[in-house]
Amino acid sequence: MDLIHPHSKADVLEVLREASRHRTRVLIVGGRTHMDKGNPCETDVELWTTMLDDLIAYEPAEMIAVVGAGMRVGDLQRALAEADQEWPVDAPPEATVGGVIAAAAVSPRRLSVGAVRDSVLEVELVTGDGRLVRSGARTVKNVTGYDLHKLVTGSLGTLGVIVQVALKVRPRPQARRTVLAGGGLETAARLLERVPLPAAVLATPETTEVRLEGWGEQVEEQTLAVAGSASVIELLDEAPFPLRRPWEERALVLEAAVPPSRLPELLAEAPDAWGALAGVGIAWVGLDAADGELAVVRERAARLGGIAPVVKGPGGLGDAPVPAMEVHRRLKASFDPAGVLAPGRFWGGI
Amino acid sequence: MADVDAAQRALEDALGPSEVLSDPLSRALYARDASMVEGACALVAFPRSLEDVVACVRIAGEHGLPIVPRGSGTGLAGASTPIADALVVVTSKMTRILEVRPEDRLAWVEPGLPNLDLATALAPSGFTYAPDPSSQQTSSIGGNVNTNAGGLHCLAYGVTSNHVLALDLVLPDASVVRLGSEAPEAAGYDLRGVVIGSEGTVGIVAAVCVRLTPLPPDVRTMLFDFETVEDCAATVSAIIASGVVPAAIEMMDHGIVVAAESFAHAGYPTDAAAILIVEVDGTPASVRAQSEAVERAAREHRVRSVRVARDEAERGLIWKGRKSAFGAVAQIAPHYHLHDCVVPRSSLARVLAGVYEIAARHGLVVTNVFHAGDGNLHPLLSFDRRVPGTLERVLRASDEIVRLCISVGGALSGEHGIGLEKREFMPLVFTDDDLAAQACVRTAFDPDGRMNPHKVLPEGARCGDFAMARGADAAGAAASLPEGSWI
Ligand SMILES: Cc1cc2nc3c(=O)[nH]c(=O)nc-3n(C[C@H](O)[C@H](O)[C@H](O)COP(=O)(O)OP(=O)(O)OC[C@H]3O[C@@H](n4cnc5c(N)ncnc54)[C@H](O)[C@@H]3O)c2cc1C
Repeated sequence: MDLIHPHSKADVLEVLREASRHRTRVLIVGGRTHMDKGNPCETDVELWTTMLDDLIAYEPAEMIAVVGAGMRVGDLQRALAEADQEWPVDAPPEATVGGVIAAAAVSPRRLSVGAVRDSVLEVELVTGDGRLVRSGARTVKNVTGYDLHKLVTGSLGTLGVIVQVALKVRPRPQARRTVLAGGGLETAARLLERVPLPAAVLATPETTEVRLEGWGEQVEEQTLAVAGSASVIELLDEAPFPLRRPWEERALVLEAAVPPSRLPELLAEAPDAWGALAGVGIAWVGLDAADGELAVVRERAARLGGIAPVVKGPGGLGDAPVPAMEVHRRLKASFDPAGVLAPGRFWGGI
Repeated sequence: MADVDAAQRALEDALGPSEVLSDPLSRALYARDASMVEGACALVAFPRSLEDVVACVRIAGEHGLPIVPRGSGTGLAGASTPIADALVVVTSKMTRILEVRPEDRLAWVEPGLPNLDLATALAPSGFTYAPDPSSQQTSSIGGNVNTNAGGLHCLAYGVTSNHVLALDLVLPDASVVRLGSEAPEAAGYDLRGVVIGSEGTVGIVAAVCVRLTPLPPDVRTMLFDFETVEDCAATVSAIIASGVVPAAIEMMDHGIVVAAESFAHAGYPTDAAAILIVEVDGTPASVRAQSEAVERAAREHRVRSVRVARDEAERGLIWKGRKSAFGAVAQIAPHYHLHDCVVPRSSLARVLAGVYEIAARHGLVVTNVFHAGDGNLHPLLSFDRRVPGTLERVLRASDEIVRLCISVGGALSGEHGIGLEKREFMPLVFTDDDLAAQACVRTAFDPDGRMNPHKVLPEGARCGDFAMARGADAAGAAASLPEGSWI
């Protein structure tokens, strides 16, 4: 497999023009941390974005950072931390910004920080046939035409190479605490109801981690509310969240998404390595192999109105129906007319 | 060729005769939105269900009528102003709340439901629908979705897109698709995100699944007044720099304070150069911490007085003045023209000074009431269009204001959209390739160009190769409105 390391947007344009001309199939690679999300596909070259890693503009008082898409999340967070800010995505430090966006990685703090797409204000994209297009603006609000940047968030490298983005960042909370409580999903549901505005409530089979973030006094106030509604095992300040990710110790991890109230049904018979975000409806389920269990969880997620792509290991995205398939096909044909960008990697075989 | 009579008969059969209007008065009523652009339409239809919407789209297609979706018509960009033989599909009879599921933090609603009716209905459940445009009493959820509406509280809560999980869309070929999901992630590209803010050009939204946000346990509303606009604007940046993201930061300048006060009697200081309304919310402890930081920032910028709402009634009063500001400007002159640029917060003072200078040079009265926390300006030019030459001056001043905002790195529109009024400005911020890519997105939904034609993209923007005249000015933009529409 050939590797290509573009140093500039101009390089990327050139590479994709050539690829389209010669029908060379391209797999776009960032930090390689989210590559398992996507269907298996055959490609001829890998395009690495990691040299496109400039911090282009960052004005803390605007809460906006403009960066090259190949910038490592860890480097970005360090730069932001100097001004006491963060990009609230919680991806591994070696992941790239563009990769997190293309994979629409889900933050364990989704309850309070929202989806990745909500933080992407502007994108510069090189299309499959080598055109540079920009969408959005470097402002927190913007209704100026069609939001291409929404379209490419989660597109798994099938519409173009994200080369540069403007991100909405936010102040880092002054206090961060994880309260570990006894009890799984039922406890989590109770805590979600009784604790005012938690940053996250993550249930595992036997315990619940409540993440509290904000002003010092506020976190104390919320801690009391947790203690009043569950048996507290441990209080940990400044600890990582989640404390542990047992599902990641398995060979295969599914990222199921269902309406939040359906989590108990989804997980009723699941093997014991899972973590579920109460009030959100995301569950990471660890499995030992891509055998029958994968199909069972998937089928169940589908029945509950959701999906369950694999995010670690083999197994792909699954065969959930894609709405408006014709619209999808036309989009793919417009942005990647020669079909060179990871053909088949996306939902619906796109 | 459009066959209006046949379309009318078919629509009357499908929807019932009382739901289809074709008389001149009704057609005139639905020939414009709340902007300055006027157009014309052939028929107006009022669907009552998803099936009715499908029938409208199908029949319009069969008889060659372009379709213009319309909610409450409060749009400020001419996006629901119809042109020529259009069928206007009004959602104002689709106002049901279909389902509220607090356990899933979602609700399904019909598109014509007024925004405030949803928030009011949700309140007893302890949740709300966060986006709250100033027009929320009237504007519809479907209209909000299609303009990606902002509101007074989007500084902390985000815009409409952050709060819409899924929608049922009737595509231009009359098929129905559900985009997005009740689950937090969905299969496929984020077409939901593309429909939001698409100004009725990709289909008709027939149902919306909104995300419910828990009502904060505590809230504090504060009013600060300043002797200079610069101090007031600088306070906005200082608040953000202190690490606080209030729920809302709204700014009003002297002219608008005076107008709003005589209308709403909110107790605003009418001798202030500018005021800020800041609202913080959260748990009681976080509200205390945030208010302290906000007050400190204001004191460092020579705030003259600080008023804290003591109860819900006083809070309502402070907001009443803000929300009725646009209505109140009618006292200044009969017409107004409003811009909606977004600029970096740190350039607010400079841009405001520029706006005053431009208005003065053109002999126009300008007032400002806007979402300062988001840098979202709303310079409001008041005038009397019956005075010859005034409209031309307004358009010239508008053009300069837009260019000023763009020159500091701003966006053409923060929440009102592009519609007909701003489409010829699009080349100021986008290249030909950018616009071609946008045209491809639109074409993917609507290959035959049936849905709300002429809106959003400048004339000439097509999916594929194209070239066009760049950077038209406002007078040029008015002159290049599509045939059949005018200011
Ligand atoms: C006094 C005043 C204050 C305002 N304040 C704000 C504010 O704070 N924030 C803000 O964002 N806006 C504001 N606006 C602008 C306006 O209210 C918003 O743009 C609002 O979202 C429009 O909703 P509507 O129902 O009136 O839509 P309309 O004006 O009827 O339509 C707007 C657009 O949406 C399309 N559309 C409507 N319904 C549908 C549907 N069901 N399917 C497909 N397309 C559809 C139309 O074709 C059109 O393109 C204000 C306007 C006024 C007059």
